[in-house]
Amino acid sequence: MQNGMQARKYRLQGAGLDLALPYLMLAPGLTVVLGVLVYPLWDGLRASTRAYRYGSPVADVGFHNYVQLWSDAQFLNSLWVTVKFVALSVSIEAVLGFALALFCLREFRGIRLLRTVLIIPMVITPVVVAILFRLIYASDAGMLTALSVAMGGGGVQILGNPLNAFIGLVVLDVWEWTPLMFLILLAGLQSLPHEPFEAARVDGAGSWRVFADLTFPMMRPVLAIAIVLRTIDAFGTFDQVFVLTRGGPGEATRLISIYGYDTAFKFQQTGYAAALFVTIGLVVLALAFSAIRLLRRIDAS
Amino acid sequence: MMHSSRLTRRSVIKGALGLALATTALTTLGLPMPAKAAGKKVIIGAFADGGLTPFKEKIIPLAKEQGFDIQFLEDEYGVTLEKWFADAQSGAGQYDLYLLDDPWVPQFGAANVLEDLGAGGIDGSDKDWIGPMIDMGYWPPQKGPRVKGFENAKPTLICVPFVGDLQTLTYRNDVFTGGAPKTWDEVIAKGKEGVAAGKIKYPVVFRGVSGNPIVTSWYPVFLSFGGSFFDDKWNPIFNSAEGKASADFFVGTMKQNAPSGVVEFDSDQEGAAILGGDAGAIIQYSGNALKADDPAQTKVAGKLDFGVVPKQEKAIAQMGIFIAGVPKSAPNKANSIEFLKWYVSAETQAKLSEAGSIPVKRSAFGIAKPGNRLIPVALQQLDAGALPRPRTPDWAKVEELLGIELNKALQAGSGGGAALDTAAKQVKDYLTTAGYY
Repeated sequence: MQNGMQARKYRLQGAGLDLALPYLMLAPGLTVVLGVLVYPLWDGLRASTRAYRYGSPVADVGFHNYVQLWSDAQFLNSLWVTVKFVALSVSIEAVLGFALALFCLREFRGIRLLRTVLIIPMVITPVVVAILFRLIYASDAGMLTALSVAMGGGGVQILGNPLNAFIGLVVLDVWEWTPLMFLILLAGLQSLPHEPFEAARVDGAGSWRVFADLTFPMMRPVLAIAIVLRTIDAFGTFDQVFVLTRGGPGEATRLISIYGYDTAFKFQQTGYAAALFVTIGLVVLALAFSAIRLLRRIDAS
Repeated sequence: MMHSSRLTRRSVIKGALGLALATTALTTLGLPMPAKAAGKKVIIGAFADGGLTPFKEKIIPLAKEQGFDIQFLEDEYGVTLEKWFADAQSGAGQYDLYLLDDPWVPQFGAANVLEDLGAGGIDGSDKDWIGPMIDMGYWPPQKGPRVKGFENAKPTLICVPFVGDLQTLTYRNDVFTGGAPKTWDEVIAKGKEGVAAGKIKYPVVFRGVSGNPIVTSWYPVFLSFGGSFFDDKWNPIFNSAEGKASADFFVGTMKQNAPSGVVEFDSDQEGAAILGGDAGAIIQYSGNALKADDPAQTKVAGKLDFGVVPKQEKAIAQMGIFIAGVPKSAPNKANSIEFLKWYVSAETQAKLSEAGSIPVKRSAFGIAKPGNRLIPVALQQLDAGALPRPRTPDWAKVEELLGIELNKALQAGSGGGAALDTAAKQVKDYLTTAGYY
């Protein structure tokens, strides 16, 4: 009798341990996630509903910070600059990246070296890239000016002119991040099945026809993923602008990340900056969801 | 005898636990060490600026002789305000002393994150201080308008002047052969003659980058035209007729007589233009001026002289001193205050002057051999007139709003007055939101 009870007790203990074990195993990871992901997110959301003075919260203001954003000319300008920057940069990167991936798909002597060289810009620290471009663009002693003077021209104004500075920033981004597009798209191209292409060639299809009817349609999901990833990343561009232009001249290159940074850390408007970043986060999230839906539609078709 | 060493789950868990315990024990033992090992350790945070070179080269070794273990941590100007404010506010205790730019004092003062140095034994009423400089160390200010919430607060000495930097004129003595130009018109007219004679490429050079740089360059022009920034109620009045005339002159005449890329110029390009022999005159702080006699740093050594800033109505410069504050979270607070007492003593200030830096005590200006020709000129400028920027915790935002509009007008080469109108409206709106009125 006693033995039977003891056996039952052990069975129960064993069952309890079995039940608890998965949760115990999950606990450290869960604690880390709560600590470094959920809590800061919650704290940011809470800060976005408060007014701050001299770095400390002074009042709860509900959604006032969110409402105020839409009448803030500087925020709206930064948002517009960011949208233009993302749209232009990512489009050029997608086209160039695709072209380079198609070119590097062929096997010829030196192709491995070429593929390696092409991804070098992506692995350089963004701040270093920005410093390099500053040395190229500077109107007094920059490389472009030196080149222009050597050819009998004058100083080249890039960073002092709003349009040129914006284009200069786009060029920097394209130089640095086209390799990422190239890499993703090359991997996608290499994973495509060979049979449809061989069949098309047997049928006498030309290069353009093969591209338009086979390569591009089959690559659309990969292309969409690459564009979504780059778009999300480009919305957060900060280092390059911070080093290259600090958002100037005027507000020509003031991306939302720079405006948010200044608002939070330079002007100590913590609550307002939190509302700004939450709003941008939601915009990016909406973009990502739209892209995923688009992907599903492509898959379905 | 064979010994088998199988890796079992138990041995892995035991090893991991042992490692975790050892790490925890070491961390726990190691944490208080920096504070305990302090002695006379002082961690100074500073932004990189040539104005601090004499301090670094000559005064830090002297401080070491006094038993201070100085750690001097430099950062780029653009990131220090936010970095130090976060350090002070979070109580992280990474620094014992900040060498602030003086317009930042109100922000730190309003947040109540700096030590009361008067209570620490530093005498703010010492008559040897340069009056307008020690005034900048008090929060709320002893004179002038105060922001809401601090109207009746007792002024506390939270910072002490560290390097008495202020703007002066640096000019080419082979272009301005009759001495320092007295007026802006003279700067431009004689500068053009210098260009025609092939001695220089541009009459003037200044900083045009949006924000703090352009406002700093425009400010002495604005003051010399007789402008005032705020009235006693914090209403922006910088867009007065005098202010607009100064802005039009700055974005028009001055731009036409400056390098074509001046819109993107900051202190490095500005310094290169004057030290490289391209520019005829510049209003600047001591950072680049201290290099004027060093052939290793300038192509025109011996051709650069200093003078009081030119005037239209008055010859008033902007003061922009390095000012020291001790955060409440400083790990070596007592050492910092002891260091400051030693540093601001008349003897050390005399050594600072000998080293070539602009001192903060009047007696140090009068020593037999100041280490730089700029020092007596700085005193002349102080006596002629030098004003600090308005004492508001929101100066960074005000400067940003004004700087963007001035930079836009500079790009266009006209419309300075209109830019001030736009900026004044933006500043008024911002300060209204911030509860100033």
